[in-house]
Amino acid sequence: MVSKLDLVGQAAPPAHLVVRGVEKRFGGVHALRGADFEVARGEVMALVGDNGAGKSTLMKILAGAYAFDSGDFYLNGRSVSIKSPNDAAALGIQIVYQDLALCENLDVAANLSLGSEPVKDGWSFLPKFMRPIDSLEMEAKAKKAIEQLQVRTLQSVRAKVGGLSGGQRQAIAIARAVGTESSVVMLDEPTAALGVAQTKQVLEMVKRLRDTNHAVVYISHNMRDIFEVSDRITVLRHGDNVATYKTSETSTDEIVVAMTSGLDVDASRESSNAT
Amino acid sequence: MQREGKFKIVDRLRAIRETQLGAFVPVLLALVAIWGYFGLVIPLQDLLTGETENFRAIFLSPRNIYNLFMQSAVIATLAVGITIVLLLGEIDLSAAATAGVCAALLGVLVLTGIPSILACLIVILVGIAMGLVQGLLVAYVGIPSFVVTLAGLLGYQGLMQKILPTGNLNVGDPFIRGIARTLIPDLWGILIALAVFGLFAFFSFRKQYQRKSRNLEVDSFWVIWVQILVFGFIVISVVLTLNAYRSLPLLLVLLLGSTMLLDWVTRSTPYGRSLFAVGGNAESARRVGIKVNQIRVSAFAIVGLMAAIGGIFGASRYGSVSYTAFAGGSLLLEAIGAAVIGGTSLFGGRGSVWNAILGALVIGSLGNGLDLSGASAADKLMVSGAILILAVAIDALSRSSSGRT
Repeated sequence: MVSKLDLVGQAAPPAHLVVRGVEKRFGGVHALRGADFEVARGEVMALVGDNGAGKSTLMKILAGAYAFDSGDFYLNGRSVSIKSPNDAAALGIQIVYQDLALCENLDVAANLSLGSEPVKDGWSFLPKFMRPIDSLEMEAKAKKAIEQLQVRTLQSVRAKVGGLSGGQRQAIAIARAVGTESSVVMLDEPTAALGVAQTKQVLEMVKRLRDTNHAVVYISHNMRDIFEVSDRITVLRHGDNVATYKTSETSTDEIVVAMTSGLDVDASRESSNAT
Repeated sequence: MQREGKFKIVDRLRAIRETQLGAFVPVLLALVAIWGYFGLVIPLQDLLTGETENFRAIFLSPRNIYNLFMQSAVIATLAVGITIVLLLGEIDLSAAATAGVCAALLGVLVLTGIPSILACLIVILVGIAMGLVQGLLVAYVGIPSFVVTLAGLLGYQGLMQKILPTGNLNVGDPFIRGIARTLIPDLWGILIALAVFGLFAFFSFRKQYQRKSRNLEVDSFWVIWVQILVFGFIVISVVLTLNAYRSLPLLLVLLLGSTMLLDWVTRSTPYGRSLFAVGGNAESARRVGIKVNQIRVSAFAIVGLMAAIGGIFGASRYGSVSYTAFAGGSLLLEAIGAAVIGGTSLFGGRGSVWNAILGALVIGSLGNGLDLSGASAADKLMVSGAILILAVAIDALSRSSSGRT
């Protein structure tokens, strides 16, 4: 299996996260029919496909929200099994959902460490969920995470998320995914609801994630964003791979055609051998 | 960002609201307005009209304040519990009936000769179990809390009548009566107040110092001083007023102590944080690994706990358990009203247990003041309704404005 990874291409680094032959059925619906997917560190892999192609299903499987019916899952060359979002998080796989899943009534710092709040030492006689939160440590961590992503417009980590702009919220959701020492960050339509300036900010942030050696999975319908930010593009259709392209060697038209009508039979076999 | 000028005032107001004592500002203002009206305006009116016959200047007398606190204590205990489920965006209509069942059970247990401390513990466990059952139905069966607790309200009312077929039972046990009757000696009361004040100031300054040394943003100096001074003024003047009539009653110390504990749990522990998270966005709480259903169940159990404590307080204060004082009366609506008037959002995710205490004082003061000024029961109901609507309207408006920006 590992030797196959070398076939990805000379320029591409070896893949960090690899899934092979993923099958998933929802009752009678065959959502994924043996799809392959991989992403390397320091790479932005775009995942595209028409509605119903299986993008979100694949993404949720990677994030542990769904279990697949059959298939192989490798992380860093090792076979792993992911049964819940917590498993995925423990392995450093984080996902930023389209709805961001932030608590608007909590401040930025609280959102960033929600579910894994740092607690003060010396209270070990209490169960963990009853120990006092180290709120200063939490703020310091939040400040660091925000600074890492260079979110300049955010004035205070103590601001309630409810009062922030769409771009800032996206930034916080990304910061939360990155902040937990993750190696794989998946972004679901991160720019769908944003204006021009905020989209640019978010794309900058995605590039910064690549520069900090994260493996980034970028799901979007927006071809311009994809061509600006991605290194490779995986096209799904009817729950299976069409092909994986290098962004620098393809065009919007080619991707759109692949999304809507797939390739002819020979090319499709060739590309699935390659990936 | 583009409307800098307008933004500043709103920002500053919001900043004040989000400081430790800032969230109390609206309900404190309401309290001041009510006390000012009953305590100053009405006596002044009497003075001007030359009404010496029944001069109504007793509202702000130490004796009345003492009674006011004691009257509000049971409402406050229930309101503190209800606040916890309101934080989740749920509601508990059965709290007063739970308190009634617990009080009735307590009375019966004590009559059969079980030691009163043991009886109290049993009753507390029963209260927790009653809340737990409702929480399980809400979380795992998926019935809306409104319906579950409405059924609980009816069922527990019936249960209370079963336990007390006559509808009334005197509780003469010295231990239980002692909870409401015991007074902390004057000097000790003042010492407790000073200690609480000192600790508050100490922790405020320590936090400020730690922030500075870790290079985090610090609150402006005057905000901290105002907080400390307002807090100190309230604590010490309350104790001095109570001392002027009798003394600080043990009941209030227990109530404030358990409120302090719950406040700490809700604001400073991962458990409390998950209460707020579930109330703010249950789906996102689930995604970060918070066990939403367990949190829901536990919140209802806490209401049961506080309802049981409220039942014990009530039995102790009235010296009797009656159907009308708990399950059948206005206690439930007053307690929910108190939590909401205090500023806890009905939509979940915003509020604090201290606000419930202040809200209970607002409700208690309204009732007490209207009684003293000779208003009818009809007036009382109508004014309480108006205040409640006002509080919920403020809640709804502040929610929509924060959602828009």
